[in-house]
Amino acid sequence: MTTAAASRTRLATDNISLSYGAGRSTGLGLMGLGLLAGLAVLGMGFSGAMGLTLKHAVAVYLIGAMGVLAMSLGGLFYVMAFHLTNAGWSATIRRQAENLASFLPFAWLLMLPVLGVEIATHGTLYLWLNPDYYTDHALQNKAAFFYAPLSIVDHDTHEPVKGAVFPAFFVIRAVCYGLIWTYLSRRLCRLSREQDVKANASLAAKARFTSAWGMLAFALSTAFASFDWLMSVDFKFFSTMWPVWYFAGSAFSGMSLLVLVFARLKSMGKLEGVVTPEHFHDKGKLIFSFTVFWAYISFSQYFLIWYSNIPEETAFFHYRSFVGSAWRGLGIFLMIGHFIAPFLIGLFRPVKKSPLALGLLAVWCLFVHFADIYFMVRPMVEAGSNHPVAILSHLWVDVVAIVGLFAVLVGYLIVKVPASSLVPVNDPYMDEALEHRNYV
Amino acid sequence: MSTSSGRVYVTEAGEPIHGILAEFGSPADLYHAAEKVRDAGYSRWDTHTPFPIHGLEDAMGMPRTKLPVLVAVVALTGAGLGFLMQYWMSGVDYPLVVQGKPYDSWQAFIPITFELGILSAAFTALIGMLALNGLPRHHHPLFKKDRFLSGSDDKFFVCIEAGDGKFDPDRTRALLEHAGATSIELVEE
Repeated sequence: MTTAAASRTRLATDNISLSYGAGRSTGLGLMGLGLLAGLAVLGMGFSGAMGLTLKHAVAVYLIGAMGVLAMSLGGLFYVMAFHLTNAGWSATIRRQAENLASFLPFAWLLMLPVLGVEIATHGTLYLWLNPDYYTDHALQNKAAFFYAPLSIVDHDTHEPVKGAVFPAFFVIRAVCYGLIWTYLSRRLCRLSREQDVKANASLAAKARFTSAWGMLAFALSTAFASFDWLMSVDFKFFSTMWPVWYFAGSAFSGMSLLVLVFARLKSMGKLEGVVTPEHFHDKGKLIFSFTVFWAYISFSQYFLIWYSNIPEETAFFHYRSFVGSAWRGLGIFLMIGHFIAPFLIGLFRPVKKSPLALGLLAVWCLFVHFADIYFMVRPMVEAGSNHPVAILSHLWVDVVAIVGLFAVLVGYLIVKVPASSLVPVNDPYMDEALEHRNYV
Repeated sequence: MSTSSGRVYVTEAGEPIHGILAEFGSPADLYHAAEKVRDAGYSRWDTHTPFPIHGLEDAMGMPRTKLPVLVAVVALTGAGLGFLMQYWMSGVDYPLVVQGKPYDSWQAFIPITFELGILSAAFTALIGMLALNGLPRHHHPLFKKDRFLSGSDDKFFVCIEAGDGKFDPDRTRALLEHAGATSIELVEE
């Protein structure tokens, strides 16, 4: 068709590529600095410099690491969702989602310092690793989840064992997540890049097949990673809604970061007529839908726990929300900042269609995403204490660790984005995506 | 309507005229005809096609629907009233201790607030869509025309209503002829 031929001219090399190596030194520098900042905070925690506790240091590093992990998991989710649904409109934005997903092995590596420090120190933040807590009945009942096939209770005497036990099952799972995420992200990226050269539609079929079982593996690994690394910070707490909460933030923040990548590319004069206001409109809709989804599931979790009033569960929210709690303000901020504000702003179509306006909204969304993970983890550092001065001390350390780890991801994208064509040029749905319009 | 001419046109037999119906042979012809009718400034007219034609609403110069605003306003009103209803019933009118919670626990009110928001949004979307489209109606003057039957098969129609302020039997007919209509006829009410 002539229209297809005309739209193909928009795929001129100049329009869909950045010069290879552009911004490479900036990106690598940012990655190095960010990593240094994160590790420096951990180092400060170890040495106790400036009165910083190791527990605090590990917690804020964990917040940053889980925040960027969520974003790259969001990238992987979108790549697989686009393949699985045979989505046409998304062909021009999938490559950047792949780039985001390809950070997953690094995001996993970023978690290793936390796991290493926690196991080596026998639990500073993950108190279930601490032998002092082996006497706790709640922990004894959950111990197999962390320690199997080992045990923290002696088989014969039924007494808690002396000394720390290696959390075998916990470590095996951590390795599995790394393998699953690395394999899925690398395979999907490789198939897509191969198609750039070979123009073979069967590669898209392979990617679709991988996405089918990959989505299941993604769901299980994301769910259990959020149990293992986030929920276990409060080992007495349990909520089956927890992974959904983490996933909602993941899809929300992943799309927000993608919007920023495209807003930046557009401001550089790239992707003219390839990623249009219609595509931004759809990305805006996804951010909008996941802010609603986040509100829906986080309220559902809160609501059931509030109603049933089981002590172990209620403690989590009580500590964060009783009148006078130092964390109450953050919870209310999340209701407004993570739901009401993005919801009301996202209702307006011109906001979703404008790269600038949606980009500004996306910056806000990334901020509240970190605030959300902060709300999950940070209160546990001073669990039991409610002294605002103690809680707010070293706030700058929190900022350094979180911004630092986010900078690692940003630097990685600066290096990664120019390394291949900005869109999968030979995707079978390319023509459809170029002509994409929302007819409503 | 403000654009109405206030005049009533009748056929030679004395029947009031609904409008002028013009037939086109292809989606492209209809599309360009729609652009011409739009540019001529008509407002009370419509196109009829056997299948959706992408971009036709732009060619017709149709403004965006007001339905989303309507839905948002009614949904927020519904949610707000739903909350107040529960607050008044549980907190003020007939307080009961449920689960040892305070009478006016906002948490307990959220599901029904949410559902009432959704319910009123859904009803407004459906009923508002029908109302804005002038539906349901049991008859339409165009159905009297045998030729119009092919509008569900392989022909494309423009109908300009006599109630349009710019309607003029001769000039409107000339415009449609100029736009490439293959057949033009008057439609009685």
